[in-house]
Amino acid sequence: MASGQRARVWLMRGTFSLLVLIIMFFQLLPLETQPRQWAPPDLIMGLAFVWALRRPDYVPAFLLATLLLLSDLLFQRPPGLMALLIILACEILKVRILSNRETTFMAEWIEVALAIAAVTALNRVVLNLTGVAQASLTLTMIQMIMTIGIYPILIAFSQTVLGVRKLTPVEADAIGNR
Amino acid sequence: MSRDRTQREDYTTPLRRLLIGILCLCLAAMFLVWRIDNPRVERFRAQVVDRFVPNMDWAMAPVTGTIKLLRDFQSYQRLAEQNQELRSELRQMRAWKEAALQLEQENARLLDLNNVRLDPRLTFITGVVMADSGSPFRQSVLLNVGARDGIQDGWAAMDGIGLVGRISGTGRNTARVILLTDTAMAVPATIQPSGQTALVTGDNTAAPVLNFLENSDLVRPGDRVISSGDGSVFPAGLLIGQVAQDPSGRLRVRLSADYERLEFLRVLRHHGTEVISDSGGLVVPAPDATTPRARPENLDELAQGEDDNG
Repeated sequence: MASGQRARVWLMRGTFSLLVLIIMFFQLLPLETQPRQWAPPDLIMGLAFVWALRRPDYVPAFLLATLLLLSDLLFQRPPGLMALLIILACEILKVRILSNRETTFMAEWIEVALAIAAVTALNRVVLNLTGVAQASLTLTMIQMIMTIGIYPILIAFSQTVLGVRKLTPVEADAIGNR
Repeated sequence: MSRDRTQREDYTTPLRRLLIGILCLCLAAMFLVWRIDNPRVERFRAQVVDRFVPNMDWAMAPVTGTIKLLRDFQSYQRLAEQNQELRSELRQMRAWKEAALQLEQENARLLDLNNVRLDPRLTFITGVVMADSGSPFRQSVLLNVGARDGIQDGWAAMDGIGLVGRISGTGRNTARVILLTDTAMAVPATIQPSGQTALVTGDNTAAPVLNFLENSDLVRPGDRVISSGDGSVFPAGLLIGQVAQDPSGRLRVRLSADYERLEFLRVLRHHGTEVISDSGGLVVPAPDATTPRARPENLDELAQGEDDNG
């Protein structure tokens, strides 16, 4: 039983990495070489939040940090900054949401929306303070709103297709006592 | 009771906190190092990209192809109409081709008369676009040629017609081209026929802005914008685009390169522009030229040139 659990955890960690790599792959495809008027949602950040709030053991911080750092490097962002902010946001969200199991969907969505807004704002503030040139505010806002908007879809996808659900108390105890 | 315990074990053990703290510190340190010692980290980035992206290449090409095919499918519906248009355009083109041929012959004759030699050092390497920047905030593409093929930072990349961007970041097998539309791009340019100089500055829109124009009255929409070679950024005389005016009255450049279809890019080998620093001195290389200089073709010529000047 315990080894089956462990194998499943590793399998899901692999799935998460694969998912992130696929997202990176599609973002890197040279389809849009013209500047865009809008920005797509940051799917990797959304997925990280969805998974971390359902099964934190599927997205250990080191795995998440590695993947985020890779995306920072590949997408020409300042390396480390977004990764740092998203990991901090994940940790704070975990403490706030996982501490009471009865969180409703709306409450979770609002918390996550706040977290996404905070990450976006902090990112801009830090870049401003360190004097890094940055993209226009409208694009950033569009991306932020899109990310918040897509969050329920990511939840639905993770829960139905990949079976990433919150643990029931019984299961949690079983794993916790392992 | 048991719930509290599992939570404490899972999420708040001090060791875990410590590890996450260390992780965050590492990431913050990485950002700071990037900010302080940018070239080193950018080199690291180029290496990571170089290692990572070519692995996906086998899948990227077919997927890109398929998506483009699906997009093109919509345009097939208008095929008949398009065909008609193309036919009439072709007729016009024939007339132009005739004119061009005559002009070409005339040009060849004139060049022959003048004994003009075009710069023989301006050769190029062609690369295929593998990936774009992956983010809506940055405008760049990744080419499948890199340091292995002798690509150096700062060289110009063109499609068949116009300037596309500048090499910035080379790995062994890949090189990144920052496009003219990126906010970090500024290219010194000359506007023909008035000869005004300006800076073509990208602002994340399809048409970069013309900045630092001395006298904008002399510039009209439709004028040609070519690189001026000032600051040794690019060789002079590369076509950038045409002047256009946006609704708010700002002068912009409509780029000649086809940014919708960047597939093959030519990277021009550029060995620095020679500048004259003082009125009576020798013609010397720019003091801050980063690219290695080409060797003189033979020593006698060089010695003779020095004698003449000195």
